[in-house]
Amino acid sequence: MTAIESPQPASIPLLRLAAVAAFIVMGFLLPRLLGGTSVAYSTLTTIAIFAVMCYGADIVLSYLGEVSLGHTVFWAIGGYAAANLSVKYGLNGWATAAATIALCLAAATFLGAVTLRTREFVFSLVTYAAAVVAYEIAFNWDAVGGSDGVVGIPPLKLPLLLTNFSGAMQEDLWPIAFALLLLTLAFIARFRRSRLGTTALMVQMNPALAASLGVDPRRIRLAVFVISAPITGLAGWLYAYQRAYVGPDMFESYFLVMMLTAIVLVGRRILLGPLIGTALLIAQQNLLSLGGDWNKIVLGSVLALVLIFWPAGLVGLYRRITKKT
Amino acid sequence: MNIAQQVINGIVLGSGYACIALGWTILLGVARLVNFAHGQLYMLGAFVSWYAITKLGLPYPLAILMAIIVLGVIGLLMQSAMMRLVMTQNLTSLMIVTLGLGYVLQGGSALIFGGNPQTLPGTLARAKIDIGPLWFTWQDVLVLVVTLLLYGAVWLFTQRTRFGSVIRAVAEDPKLAELFGINAKLVYLGVFVFECSAVALGAALVAPRSPILTSMGFNEVIMTFVVVVLGGIGSIGGALAAGLGLGLFTAFFGAFVAPAYTTAAAFALLLALLVIRPAGLATK
Repeated sequence: MTAIESPQPASIPLLRLAAVAAFIVMGFLLPRLLGGTSVAYSTLTTIAIFAVMCYGADIVLSYLGEVSLGHTVFWAIGGYAAANLSVKYGLNGWATAAATIALCLAAATFLGAVTLRTREFVFSLVTYAAAVVAYEIAFNWDAVGGSDGVVGIPPLKLPLLLTNFSGAMQEDLWPIAFALLLLTLAFIARFRRSRLGTTALMVQMNPALAASLGVDPRRIRLAVFVISAPITGLAGWLYAYQRAYVGPDMFESYFLVMMLTAIVLVGRRILLGPLIGTALLIAQQNLLSLGGDWNKIVLGSVLALVLIFWPAGLVGLYRRITKKT
Repeated sequence: MNIAQQVINGIVLGSGYACIALGWTILLGVARLVNFAHGQLYMLGAFVSWYAITKLGLPYPLAILMAIIVLGVIGLLMQSAMMRLVMTQNLTSLMIVTLGLGYVLQGGSALIFGGNPQTLPGTLARAKIDIGPLWFTWQDVLVLVVTLLLYGAVWLFTQRTRFGSVIRAVAEDPKLAELFGINAKLVYLGVFVFECSAVALGAALVAPRSPILTSMGFNEVIMTFVVVVLGGIGSIGGALAAGLGLGLFTAFFGAFVAPAYTTAAAFALLLALLVIRPAGLATK
């Protein structure tokens, strides 16, 4: 399942295509299959949004082997861009999404360029410090919301040629969240087979080989970091519309721990891994909640225990069990 | 006399930064390990001392001792759980594991100590000393003295004793050190327990200055990062100098520019240094 061994069996592309299409239709109808209640819709929308958030951090962790602790910055940039532009200037969803992408690219380029030559833990330290500083700015700068945040975000409006998607209800947001998730998955699948994706993996797995092929690891690192940012940013963008409120709590370590746990739970470098991980974790928090503090203990323990005992995640565990018996 | 007062404030703040950063400096510099639960350990140290004083009625010195012991035991448990990752030098996983364990500590502390902000009662913290228009508290003096003594002791221990060279040998290459009959696991355990105890001591000394919350976590000790990286990773003297320097910078920036953005300013300083001298800061 690694990106390197992905030359497709070209003999049955049609069958494969049909299977993917069936999965997409099934996924889209999933809330209705689960009863069509507003809880089903809101839970699945949250899963889709959080999964997209995780995919941003996943690119950096899985393909670059670096731990970015600063992806909450991009998450918050998306939220704040959506909130401020839609509340103060009445811009529609396309404009706020474009602003999110542009701002995330700029922030990631700056942060990536500054940390370009730092090694693993210094990189994590600096990205973490960046998140703390961004929190401080968001908390104190009243023009973007200050400590109260921005309330009363209008429903998401995405005018298309014929129709006008609007996300007034949880049920209306689901198609948009689902589309964003599909787009992200398509992008990640493409990235895994792209020159950049395979080169990033080579830099991580075999730096000597990469160097002998004339690859500049810094350039690869910067490129991967920069393209990962808008993914998490767009998740934050949609999250703002879902909650109709944005505040400094978008920097909470919950989101960071959530991203990392969802990535490592199923196993790194697996296309659907972060999605399944997110689904499991959100299902626990929304449907089998033990209360805020216990949920924290569960989330943190899952993260620590998986890495300590099954570093390859649930998939690795499954493989080990099937090999032994 | 505002400037003289800011110098005092800076030294007060800086000795606190240096005190909290000591454990991290040793862990990162001498043993080359990372611990992203540092902030939560600080929080826990503060809350254990608070609990010992207000609920158990222990005097302040005994409360400090209790915090040191409790955190030492937690450090022992954490490091034992992570031992395999430590021995294989899997730093990426270690970072994430400690982050997860920190989150567990945060949730657990909220369950035990409740979600309300508390204040560590300190008689020394209210004992003001006035010299003309200038003032500071006996607590500040205590922090400064203990910090200087600790840094001196740790410097002597790591640079001038056989144990110090053993720790550095393990950090260089744990497998090779084991060939020479050194029990690397024991050394890692010792260093990690020291880190946790040191941050407990730091918390018990520094936390009476401000209200404590179980959710304060990393934001409270973000300056630790800046101190450790600015000081040159692992340099004990460098961390002390960076701590005091950063304290002065924070005091002056807060007094004359903008108090709300002091962390941002300290971070900007760090970024500037990383750009100018990345190799000099990232390597020993």
